[in-house]
Amino acid sequence: MNEQPVSAASIKAVTATGTATKTVAITGERAGVASLFRRFRKNSSLAGIYVFLGLMTIFALFPLYYVLQASFNATQALITTNLQLVPTHPTLANYQYVIQQEPFLRWLLNSIIACGVATLIALICATSGAYALARFRFRGRQVSLLFLFALQTFPGLLAIYAYYDILTLLHLDGTIIGLSLVYAAGNIVFGVWNIKGYFDTLPIELEEAARVDGASYFTTFMRIILPLAAPALAASALFMFIGGWNEFVLAKLILNPDNNSLTVPVGLFQLQQDQYTPWGYFAAASVLVSLPLMALFLYLQRFFRSGLTIGSVKG
Amino acid sequence: MLRVSRMTIAAYLLPTFLVIALIDLYPIFYTFNLSFTNKSTFNTLDNSYHYIGVKNYQYVLQQTGGDFVQVLLITAFYVVVCVALFAFLGLITAMAVNHPRVRGKGFWGNALILPWTVPTFVTALIWKFLYNYNFGPLNQIIRLVTHNASAGILWLDQPTPAFIAVVIANIWMSYPFFMVISLGALQSIPADLLEAAQVDGASGWQRFRYIMLPLLRPALLPATILSAITTFQMFNTVYLITAGGPFTSGNINNPGATEFLMVYMFDRIQNNGNFFVNYGHIATVAVLVFIVLFALTMMSLRFTNLARETKR
Repeated sequence: MNEQPVSAASIKAVTATGTATKTVAITGERAGVASLFRRFRKNSSLAGIYVFLGLMTIFALFPLYYVLQASFNATQALITTNLQLVPTHPTLANYQYVIQQEPFLRWLLNSIIACGVATLIALICATSGAYALARFRFRGRQVSLLFLFALQTFPGLLAIYAYYDILTLLHLDGTIIGLSLVYAAGNIVFGVWNIKGYFDTLPIELEEAARVDGASYFTTFMRIILPLAAPALAASALFMFIGGWNEFVLAKLILNPDNNSLTVPVGLFQLQQDQYTPWGYFAAASVLVSLPLMALFLYLQRFFRSGLTIGSVKG
Repeated sequence: MLRVSRMTIAAYLLPTFLVIALIDLYPIFYTFNLSFTNKSTFNTLDNSYHYIGVKNYQYVLQQTGGDFVQVLLITAFYVVVCVALFAFLGLITAMAVNHPRVRGKGFWGNALILPWTVPTFVTALIWKFLYNYNFGPLNQIIRLVTHNASAGILWLDQPTPAFIAVVIANIWMSYPFFMVISLGALQSIPADLLEAAQVDGASGWQRFRYIMLPLLRPALLPATILSAITTFQMFNTVYLITAGGPFTSGNINNPGATEFLMVYMFDRIQNNGNFFVNYGHIATVAVLVFIVLFALTMMSLRFTNLARETKR
């Protein structure tokens, strides 16, 4: 995981320490006390950096650790006013309860459907348009690009009444598919920008060469460009999916409030809103929702760096 | 650029633009239109609502006691505080990890990036529990340190602690993004540039100020603007922790201490569960929010290479 940047950094670190010793050697001709003092200052600042990194790591990991241990904690053990960091009687009861007694799996399924359908619609619709914007020149192209960019900042929440109307018209009001349509609206605009950014980096000679070999532009697009753009498409898809996975407010406003038709964020929120729900249940559910996504994210880190940074957020 | 017929171009563009027109443009147009009408729960069924010009705008900007303006200002304040803090924290964390003599870069990098990978609604709900007065570990630590069993901060029931609480939660989830961006940018700075400066006698601060910072600028500036825009639209982190509260003014219709733009929108739509909702007013607020976001985005155009990209 993350191997490339780290190894690059360590190579740089090696060269840098090499030069550092060189500087010490040069200045070492002066009084020994001064160089000793310098070395002490250097080491103490290094120690300071380690202390800072240690504190930051505690800040970063403490909330996560706390939830993890709470998820294994017996219900009553969390209702204490004293700090407790290790479960006294570790148990899986919380996980069992969440999976069996709450419609948790149903929420998961709903979330997967909503995000999956939205991602699929958006990806299909965005790719061809992104290709046209990257490769063809036509009147109104610049205006459309700027327009799309502006649309990117328009949160769906602002147009909620329009979506209510559209979904009622389509007889999709209150449904997961209806919600996914609203998610797709945001995803498409993001997708066009991001994928277009990647198409821009592919050499145009690809199409020209294929053309000379007698392939039509459409064949080239399907057989050469799309496979080459796979990393960017995957990164965009993942970002769209995660965006929907995190989405709370539209799901809350659009979905039927009945407990079985919620997505994970709304369901978990409802679970926590209830004062009598033991916190351990919520902690277990949080771990279940977060772990797959965290693992995926860490695994795909370097992938993001290549696939996504090439897109809209060019450095 | 490829030379193709107009029909081909249209064939590629049509599916994209058709869907965008239907689910992006139409809703925006609808909202603009709505903001000039007096549509509400009462006149929807018999279709007796009509255009009332800019009255909604007058109402939203003046007659609600400056609610909207107040919310806008407090949101702007939140954005500035958060972005400044997590950008700074992300940058110095990256510099610490990237320090040539620090070992275990892989460990630090992966440990420090973890908060970024947690789904935002989980982050918010976790912090909500950490801030719990009786059973939250933050107050438990305070009790442990002060040896006072009744000590503790009412994090979410007082305006200032609640504001600080949502700032801390946002910093926790957002600094890794800046750390990653800064790390990438730092690693692209040639080491000999810094060495040369060192040989020339530049102090650590001077090397940072005159060499690293200018080289980091092109990466950090777009990231800062992007973060400002996302923080402006932040909903989960705020609503799921404080629900926009605490509402201390006594009047339930006045905005709470952490009721930022999007939470304000949401609360107007919900209207405390009241049956009567004035759609025209809400649409007006939406249009105003859109104008603010649009202005921010256009500002960001100047700093990114987007303008260049569209002209290519």
